[in-house]
Amino acid sequence: MFGLPYTDAVVVAGALVLGITSGVLGAFAVLRRRSLVGDAVAHSTLPGVCIAFLVAGVKDVPGLLVGAAVAGVVAALLMVGIERSSRIPPDAATGVVLSGFFALGVVLLTHLANSTDADQAGLENYLFGQAAGLLASDVAVMAGLGVVALVVVGVARRALTATLFDPGYAGAIGLPVRVLETVMTALLVVAVVIGVRIVGAILMVAMLVVPTVTARQLADRFPRVLLLAGVVGALVGVAGALTATRGELPTGPVVVLTGFAVAVAALMFAPGRGVLWRTRRLAARRRAVRRDAVLADPAAPVTGPGDRLTRAGLRRQGLLAADGRTLTPAGERAAADLADRRALWTAWLAHGPSVHLPDAREPTRPTCAPASARTPSPSSAPCPAGPNHDPRTRDSRALFQRLAHRPASRWIRARESLDSGGRVADGRGGACLTGW
Amino acid sequence: MPDGLVIVIVAGLVATACGLLGPFLVLRRIALLSDAVSHAVLPGIVAVWLVAQTRAPLPVIIGAAAFAVVCVLAIDALRATGLVASDAAIALVFPALFALGVLGITRFASGIHLDLDATIYGEIAFVPFDTVQVGGFEMARSGLVLAGVVALNLVLVTLLWKELKATTFDPDFSATVRLRPRLLSRLLLVAVAITAVASFDAVGAILVVTLLIVPAATAYLLTDRLAVMVGLAVGVGWVGAAGGYALALPLDSSIAGAMGLVCTACFVVALLASPKRGVLARWLRRARRAPVAPPAVSP
Repeated sequence: MFGLPYTDAVVVAGALVLGITSGVLGAFAVLRRRSLVGDAVAHSTLPGVCIAFLVAGVKDVPGLLVGAAVAGVVAALLMVGIERSSRIPPDAATGVVLSGFFALGVVLLTHLANSTDADQAGLENYLFGQAAGLLASDVAVMAGLGVVALVVVGVARRALTATLFDPGYAGAIGLPVRVLETVMTALLVVAVVIGVRIVGAILMVAMLVVPTVTARQLADRFPRVLLLAGVVGALVGVAGALTATRGELPTGPVVVLTGFAVAVAALMFAPGRGVLWRTRRLAARRRAVRRDAVLADPAAPVTGPGDRLTRAGLRRQGLLAADGRTLTPAGERAAADLADRRALWTAWLAHGPSVHLPDAREPTRPTCAPASARTPSPSSAPCPAGPNHDPRTRDSRALFQRLAHRPASRWIRARESLDSGGRVADGRGGACLTGW
Repeated sequence: MPDGLVIVIVAGLVATACGLLGPFLVLRRIALLSDAVSHAVLPGIVAVWLVAQTRAPLPVIIGAAAFAVVCVLAIDALRATGLVASDAAIALVFPALFALGVLGITRFASGIHLDLDATIYGEIAFVPFDTVQVGGFEMARSGLVLAGVVALNLVLVTLLWKELKATTFDPDFSATVRLRPRLLSRLLLVAVAITAVASFDAVGAILVVTLLIVPAATAYLLTDRLAVMVGLAVGVGWVGAAGGYALALPLDSSIAGAMGLVCTACFVVALLASPKRGVLARWLRRARRAPVAPPAVSP
């Protein structure tokens, strides 16, 4: 693969598989704001390993892994239980479980070290692996787990989405919320336990979080975020592993740093969402405000470099006279436009709710006959001549009519014509919308 | 002074320093910052070794503190973009810094024995042996350092009490009345970083992370008032320090681990038996409620 020697190829393949699996599973942790569950689970496995060693009496890998996985699942369930049964926020619940389990593990470990023979030495290092020491069998185990996780996510996609974003709704439509959450937690725990054994706790934390953070910047829909997270995880894993083997650097740290760089790049440059884009939007808005301020009051004293820049721009556009204190005729027109827009906006804020507009009208007079009705029943009175008799509304209507001849108020004129003259033209055959 | 007493007092000082800040971390939902800081100091230690070729305590603490501050400020900056939640920001930054440290060790310092246990992640059992002479008295060096940190935190929390309170519970309101929530948040984070680094040196990382989170969470279960919460957090920390030492002797195990365990036991007791919010209290309330008849089906 990639023309690499066998060991390097295994490392790259492992990084690929780990990236996809943890990318997809991590999305469920990150989007629930439990990004550090992986870290807590990784630390919580320590007492499990110690107890497994106490029970079995030997250091064999499958037994210790089972102990680690059981402890991890218990820790994860305890976190959920603490959150559910009290007002402890999720991050504090994670922290309490992390430190409690790790303290228990340390006590057990030192107790073992001081009370039994030296057989237990290195137990604590059993969990914290090295990516460079990957074996093909490790990759196969990870791949198997990855396939299981992807199948579960694929099959239960809709149910998982509902549970993730709105557990209350999911429960109300009869989904087994608890079961789904437990299944996802268990998958995450198993992935963390295996991943930690292979690549170490810190790399595992990064690989769970980086893909989803990156994908979230690039997509808004959950299926797309999941898909992208898998892709980003794979890319980060492979790119980091290849860089590490080329540069003869340790794999784990290089993968973590690659992932960090990718996530930061996504946060900066994500189209329409990244920090850079937002800064640009903000700058444009700021320029517009400065321009409006100069147009509204060109004789005001110059406040600073931004103001000076704006004035230079206006001079270039031919809106500001050469002296920089008066407006040209074109500038006067632009200023009048601006004043119109402002007056319209102020009027809208003050009187908008009481203005009688066809679209905003509520069917308050259902008994009056539509103008176009062919046989008006004698019981229903004809519609009153004006669309509205409320004096307050009449005042605001007058205001809008005064404004209506201004160019910026074209839409108001359209509304006016619909409202008064275009009674038939609005197609509904009446001034009041009966039957809505 | 007997060694046991020195150990309990030093751990109690750490508990006091952490108990003063922990409630704010828990209430601001950034409790796991302490865990992040405990990992993020590694590149600082490596950098000090690379620059000065030394493992003396003072430069190492300065280097570690510098990177701890870098870590918390980076997390704060990421959070401020509004694009990542604070937990994800924490989980992004500290693996990167830790990886930087590991890379530095394997690349430049593989020849020497520079690991976390040996340099900054102290062991509390050794605290009584590292002493200095002050005014004719022999005092534990870390005890003096920690007393300084406690004083610093006490000054910070008492001087900025109402500001910290307002920004913790209602950042929008405090921004409106010009309390500068961003600046206060950074101040608090820097204080956490300094406290953590000073305490790592004395008692080890596990105990610091535990003492910042667990007593505060325990206190949060017991009271609704912030001042009481801070006091309770400090108290639970002292209980953990004394109880942990008493537990570690018969078990013949790590003192820091046992202290963490006692703190966690306090949390479990509070979770179950808190008079207002405990699990038991809730069960009792539910049981005492009059048995509800099934709703009549309307015709």
